Amino acid sequence: MAMRQTPLTCSGHTRPVVDLAFSGITPYGYFLISACKDGKPMLRQGDTGDWIGTFLGHKGAVWGATLNTDATKAATAAADFTAKVWDAVSGDEVLSLAHKHIVKSVNFTQDSNCLLTGGNDKLLRIYDLSKPDAAPQEIAGHSSAIKKSLWCNNDSQILSAAEDKTVRLWDSRSMEEVKTLTFDTSVSSMEYLADGEILVITYGKTIAFYNALSLDLIKTVEAPAPINSASLHPEKDFFVAGGDDFKLYKFDYSTKEELESYKGHFGPVHCVRFSPDGELYASGSEDGTLRLWQTAVGKTYGLWKCVLPGPGNREL
Amino acid sequence: MATPVPVLRLPKGPDPNSRGFDPNSPRFIALCRTSIPTSAAAESDPQQLQEEQHARSVLRERFLRCLLAMSNKKVRFHMHEKVNVEATFGASDIDVLNFQVSDLHTPIGVQKEALIRSQDVISFTFDV
Repeated sequence: MAMRQTPLTCSGHTRPVVDLAFSGITPYGYFLISACKDGKPMLRQGDTGDWIGTFLGHKGAVWGATLNTDATKAATAAADFTAKVWDAVSGDEVLSLAHKHIVKSVNFTQDSNCLLTGGNDKLLRIYDLSKPDAAPQEIAGHSSAIKKSLWCNNDSQILSAAEDKTVRLWDSRSMEEVKTLTFDTSVSSMEYLADGEILVITYGKTIAFYNALSLDLIKTVEAPAPINSASLHPEKDFFVAGGDDFKLYKFDYSTKEELESYKGHFGPVHCVRFSPDGELYASGSEDGTLRLWQTAVGKTYGLWKCVLPGPGNREL
Repeated sequence: MATPVPVLRLPKGPDPNSRGFDPNSPRFIALCRTSIPTSAAAESDPQQLQEEQHARSVLRERFLRCLLAMSNKKVRFHMHEKVNVEATFGASDIDVLNFQVSDLHTPIGVQKEALIRSQDVISFTFDV
């Protein structure tokens, strides 16, 4: 019996959801943080989408949000020229890091000791969270606003994507540029998979996969519509993408075949990410909602409950 | 005809009355270190702990009584960027994020009703 995907809608935000991130798997499950133009990032239980809390304090649109691996800390980047670090258990603001312009991206190192920020002032900044009053290390080089910055290669390197149509790889110790990729148009999103060292980049209608260490191209896949974000499944068998036509697309990574497309959002999809166990993926949209989608449609997981086949099908 | 995957319920949405982070959740109870600096330290002297907790209780009680005493009184707020305004104090919200005031005197006129963000306030004074 064919099953149709039932996305789970997480409401609560009042403006477009522009970024989302999952934590790692913790003894309490895994968690999801969403960045929203309403200035109020939210923490949710990752497998159900249940709201846990809202981080209150930013005075402008929140453009980026992230969690550390064990979901004890959160960081957000906002249009109020600050990046903030939060206690993700109590919801309290722990640190507010002033910047000279809109901050777009935040990323913790694996040990949660350092925070990388990037934004419209074109600088990458590295903050030592154990010395919050110390000035951050700054890396200059991009000629336009930075959209996304993240740690890679065991936190020894940094990847950044900017409006100057480049993606650059930096050595985090020497702070020097190691390699640059140039595109015809600015990159819309970037995802890094430490396991396998794969970088997923989207631009135009293309989803491109690169080796994160060498920045050599592995493959590109064309989607039917302009794509704003894509995510590769942890087992590297599928990837999902969403963009301006409001749909979510699922592709086979090896064959590049488009397997499925799902309607549901009422606006462009801005971000999409697989959960750390690969069982679901979350999408954030201009319509102000997050939606959770099953990787294996019909499987019992989280709030989804499969119907057992056979005669005398019981109502659940 | 494909049937939609059944769901147990919809994801729970935000509570309109609070910012969440339920202190009774197992995760909070297990992970939230006490906010008392002395007790958060590795070895804590029970005497020092008690003194600190007592001091914190006294300060907290004083603050809450202050908020109660301010009700309907004229209060002067000293804020960032050398902003000083006077208003009649109404109430604070539970997380002390906003103060509800009336007749807020600003350089560009009197605001009948307003909310002042507490993080913008450096200090406030009033006559008891």
